[in-house]
Amino acid sequence: MQQYIIRRILLNFLVLFLVATMVFAALRVDSDTVVSRRAGICFSGGGGADSEQQIEDCKAIARTELGLNGSIPTQYKDFLFDLAQLDLGYSSVGNKDPIIDEIKERAGPSIELGLLQIFVALVIALPIGVISAVKQDSPVDYLLRFISILFLGVPVFVLAVMVILLSSRYGEGTFFADWFGPQGSYSSLSDNPFDNLKIMFAPALLGGLGTGAIIMRFLRSQMLEVLRQDYVRTAWAKGLKERVVVIRHALKNALIPVLTIVGILLGSIVSGNVILEFIYRIPGIGQYVVFNIVQTPNFPAVQGVVIVVAMVLVFVNLIIDIAYGWLDPRIRYS
Amino acid sequence: MDDVQAIPVEAAAHAEPTGKRGGVLRAVWKFSKAKPLGAFGFVIIFFLFAMTLGMPKAEFGAPALPDRPFGFELGEPFMQRYGAEDLFVTEGGFVAQYESPSAEHWLGTDKSGRDIWARIVNGARRSLFVGIWALIVATILGSGIGVISGYFGSWLDIIFQRFMDALQSFPPLIALILIVTINPLGSGEQASLLMAACALGFVGVPSVQRITRGVVLSTREQQYVEAARVIGASDVRIMWGYILPNIMASIIVVFSTGIGVVILAEAALSFIVPDKLPTGTSWGFMLSESYSSLGDAPWPGVWSAAAISLAVLGFNLAGDALRDVLDPRLRAR
Repeated sequence: MQQYIIRRILLNFLVLFLVATMVFAALRVDSDTVVSRRAGICFSGGGGADSEQQIEDCKAIARTELGLNGSIPTQYKDFLFDLAQLDLGYSSVGNKDPIIDEIKERAGPSIELGLLQIFVALVIALPIGVISAVKQDSPVDYLLRFISILFLGVPVFVLAVMVILLSSRYGEGTFFADWFGPQGSYSSLSDNPFDNLKIMFAPALLGGLGTGAIIMRFLRSQMLEVLRQDYVRTAWAKGLKERVVVIRHALKNALIPVLTIVGILLGSIVSGNVILEFIYRIPGIGQYVVFNIVQTPNFPAVQGVVIVVAMVLVFVNLIIDIAYGWLDPRIRYS
Repeated sequence: MDDVQAIPVEAAAHAEPTGKRGGVLRAVWKFSKAKPLGAFGFVIIFFLFAMTLGMPKAEFGAPALPDRPFGFELGEPFMQRYGAEDLFVTEGGFVAQYESPSAEHWLGTDKSGRDIWARIVNGARRSLFVGIWALIVATILGSGIGVISGYFGSWLDIIFQRFMDALQSFPPLIALILIVTINPLGSGEQASLLMAACALGFVGVPSVQRITRGVVLSTREQQYVEAARVIGASDVRIMWGYILPNIMASIIVVFSTGIGVVILAEAALSFIVPDKLPTGTSWGFMLSESYSSLGDAPWPGVWSAAAISLAVLGFNLAGDALRDVLDPRLRAR
């Protein structure tokens, strides 16, 4: 076990190194265009471009800000060297804050939204998955499965747009528009918990429905498998109540594989809601990275986000795998 | 679960009573009775394909989306009724903006007075062909990597898998936004739609290769593969003739579900970063255009949303049913 964990940690660092290399290379493919664009901003602020010299100066400033000084190998060496010391550099726009601080600030809303979604998904999926499996092939089962497939098919942003449409067209001033419609300015959980929850409510519910559908289908098939096992038959034969058999004997084991999905969701918690953050204007990581790729190219920020997101992903995966072995003693890692 | 043998496609096809006359119809009937939801999915897909049909022109060249998907040029879609860019005016001479559905405009008109039905039909071509091309890229690269990585194993496998892990650690949507913004192959200009399709496919490579690699790992140890090795078959021959037929079922399933995922991703991309994608008629653009005025004029948004959802739903349902029929090993995952 110890050996396994050590090997996995080493491999994770290899993966992170590859991620860093890839994002570094990707950003350098077309850096000249970005530098010229940035240079344009610089001298429009400085009052007209008079000379070649001025343009060159502006480009030099832009290069420094974007971390593009020196030859590619030198840049790469510096980048990896800083990274090894957990230094993600400084933002090239705005107040030129350290990237790590900006990410910390943005990660809060994203993580909150992600956790709320997982919570909603589990609250919906657990009872429905169990009922659907226990009443296999009954009308109830068909109905529940059809609904879950529907939520798998309808993209979350379509759902969000429709909800906003309903609330703004028909629900003016009602409770529905109050909770589902677009909200005003964002307030953080510590500032104003109620307003914050109100903002998070719609995206958490909509996102949770989608993932809940996945979990429900998975749980249903797991339950069906477990309910056919010998030990469950023994439990029935002992004369235990249905509730006890289903929940305490069957569900407990069927839940272990569901953990995998929750693990995947947890791994992408920081970055999984780009669209919902965009629609509901939640200042999370997704919105941050879209802004820094598209609106104002900000290389250090993009590199930082990608690396942090990858780091969270690989280490959450490792933890989930370890938890898996601990919950299910049949699993042995070698 | 690994000891369950995947049924190759051929076997599944022969299992249906195709020998008799009308066998195909009967097979279709049996399939739709056993998998009504899957059959519903296939109906949607069939309708989507029908929407893209147009008169082929005798013009050939490299594939270019959306009008020259496979080398020959397609004319205007038969079903469109009006051109996608035709502007309509009311009798009084005003732009026929945001009209409700009527006999003249089946689904109404949009902000600039264009017929929504025509735009939905034209958008189908874009969504479907982008999906198909993305999946061609994803399955060729993905199954190639999966087969080689799974078959040879050892250090080659470790290296390939770490690369795939690294690719998968990029959040897909962020990776896509990054790729279309950087536009690696056409410096400066906007990417072509075919390039965007390749990017969408590239992002899907890790998950495709993971599935094929899993199948390869379990078939590699089968006796008939060992037998082939004993009679001196080369590695290439074993991979091509003995292992590849086994992953065909998985690939067909991946192809079907994958197109749904790509249609969704393309719509999401054109919703978030409309100005970074190639111009044209797209369901995602329609949705993002109408997003700001949904309260007053819901029709463009409603119809484009319905088109996206139906297409994704159709491919999901069909993929699920195909998985149950062709590839029992993948069931319940």
